[in-house]
Amino acid sequence: MTTPEKLKKDENKHEEPNLKGTFVSVMLLGAFLVLSWVGVFILFIGR
Amino acid sequence: MAIKNLREKINVSEAVGSLPIQKPEAKLYMSFMYVAFISLLIGGLMGLLQVFVRSGKFTLPWGIDYYQVLTVHGVILGLVLTTYFIIGFHFSVMGKTVGISEKQRKVAWFAFWTMVVGTVMTAVTILLGEASVLYTFYAPLRAHPAFYIGLALVIIGSWVAGFVNWHQLAVWKKKHPGEKSPLLAFMVTINTVMWFIASLGVAIAVLIQFIPWSLGWAETINVLVSRTLFWYFGHPLVYFWLLPAYMAWYAIIPKIIGGKIFSDSLARMSFVLFLFFSIPVGFHHQLTEPGIDPTWKFIQVVLTMMVVIPSLMTAFSLFATFEITGRRKGFKGLFGWLKHLPWKDVRFLAPFIGMLAFIPGGAGGIINASHQMNSLVHNTIWVTGHFHLTVATTVMLTFFGISYWLVPHLTGRTLTPKLNKLGIIQSIVWTIGMSIMSGAMHIQGLLGGPRRSSFSEYGGTEQASEWIGYQMAQAVGGTILFIGIILMVYIFVKLAWFAPKGHEEFPIAEEEDDAEPTPSYFENWKLWIAITIALILFAYTIPFIDIIQNSPAGSVPFDWPIGRY
Repeated sequence: MTTPEKLKKDENKHEEPNLKGTFVSVMLLGAFLVLSWVGVFILFIGR
Repeated sequence: MAIKNLREKINVSEAVGSLPIQKPEAKLYMSFMYVAFISLLIGGLMGLLQVFVRSGKFTLPWGIDYYQVLTVHGVILGLVLTTYFIIGFHFSVMGKTVGISEKQRKVAWFAFWTMVVGTVMTAVTILLGEASVLYTFYAPLRAHPAFYIGLALVIIGSWVAGFVNWHQLAVWKKKHPGEKSPLLAFMVTINTVMWFIASLGVAIAVLIQFIPWSLGWAETINVLVSRTLFWYFGHPLVYFWLLPAYMAWYAIIPKIIGGKIFSDSLARMSFVLFLFFSIPVGFHHQLTEPGIDPTWKFIQVVLTMMVVIPSLMTAFSLFATFEITGRRKGFKGLFGWLKHLPWKDVRFLAPFIGMLAFIPGGAGGIINASHQMNSLVHNTIWVTGHFHLTVATTVMLTFFGISYWLVPHLTGRTLTPKLNKLGIIQSIVWTIGMSIMSGAMHIQGLLGGPRRSSFSEYGGTEQASEWIGYQMAQAVGGTILFIGIILMVYIFVKLAWFAPKGHEEFPIAEEEDDAEPTPSYFENWKLWIAITIALILFAYTIPFIDIIQNSPAGSVPFDWPIGRY
């Protein structure tokens, strides 16, 4: 039987999407930005 | 019966914020597109000539000057093609989401013709060799007054277009009290507000400095003030190009891939941040400029890095849209969701390649804006390679991606499987050509190769001999890109006049059914504009007073070595 409490519980149950691939993707993107920056910075220091 | 079914199908697929576009409206929107694609062809041809000249194997016939060709290329692609396409796209999405009245349409036509008169004036002066001053028209190079007056008319026309867009939204909001504005209409408003505030700078430079000076009414010009006003406009200009691409990524691509908008609030927030941080950052283009206090250069560099935030928000949001949609379709694993993406649909593929190009494009931008590394790449062809990744790949491929559905939608035709396939070939050709050309530009830039300059052996120095191989590679890449331009113009002509009659969807994505409601403060335009103006005043007031108070004597005009012949 559906009680008001149970209904409230269902409303609160917000299923979080699986975003593991997104997490890894943005980390790779961040790493690319840092590596590019460091690469040119090393060139700057070397000159 | 068949028509009724078709209508029902249309209603189902285009239910959200979707108003029908009537014929007179379509004519207006297409007029902007015609100018854009004519510009693509002319500007592309100029680019081809440039890479040929820089290969050292070709000289321009009939006494045509390299810098004249370079000016046509920059003005017609950087200013004309982009502005016309963007305004046409703005009007299309506004017409679709909030509607346009007959009166508004008439004012929009006035904007169009003002821009056309300006464009023709500017084009004629360049073609007559009276304005070989490149698209940045740096003083003390002087062009014919008609060049500056023409540019001013283009800007004024674009403002009128923006005012119409604001009026369209205002009318809609009056009819829908308490409702949040449609996402695309919100984004168009952000972009036009940014454009108006930013282009005030270049308008002031043109009206107060360049026109009187070029007419001989003023003897000298304050060079640093003119360049500062140009870059106050010049950096937000690149975001004016980029934001329509982001509109497509946030609000149109999810529909094409069969997904939903990841977060309406996140999309709006990123656009608000672009409004804040696009303008008070022009000094990062002037890092090597003497006469600007280094403290203020540092402050503007910090503000520049703030723009990284909304770009990374966009990247996150797009990855999430792709992943959620893929997982819903049953694809598993860490990257299994990538398989669901409609790789064979050019409406998706072209913008997706654009998104990928923005990864090295953005990385290059962070390098450019870092003061020390700017000294390594400033005025080298690295910078040219950078903006050919950002505007000529990210933005252009997204604009092409938009054209594949927008043009047939407006002309009552369809994107056939054959044209779709040709579009995919075009996207691949563009990617190959640009990888070669822009890659070679980046490397040559790191080796010190200058930008803007015609072919030279620089007195036979050893360093210059290292560059020639890369310039040959740029000629190869540029040739491939020109083939891409021919293909794109062919597709445009087919979609505009010859493709089969029918209905092409105007894809506008919806939010998730259980999406969190968007906070109402996003509609607080006064707040967003006040913060934007406060940031501009903070970043520019003191250094600008300093520049004016400590200026050296102004410069008389120079018509040589480039400028007027």
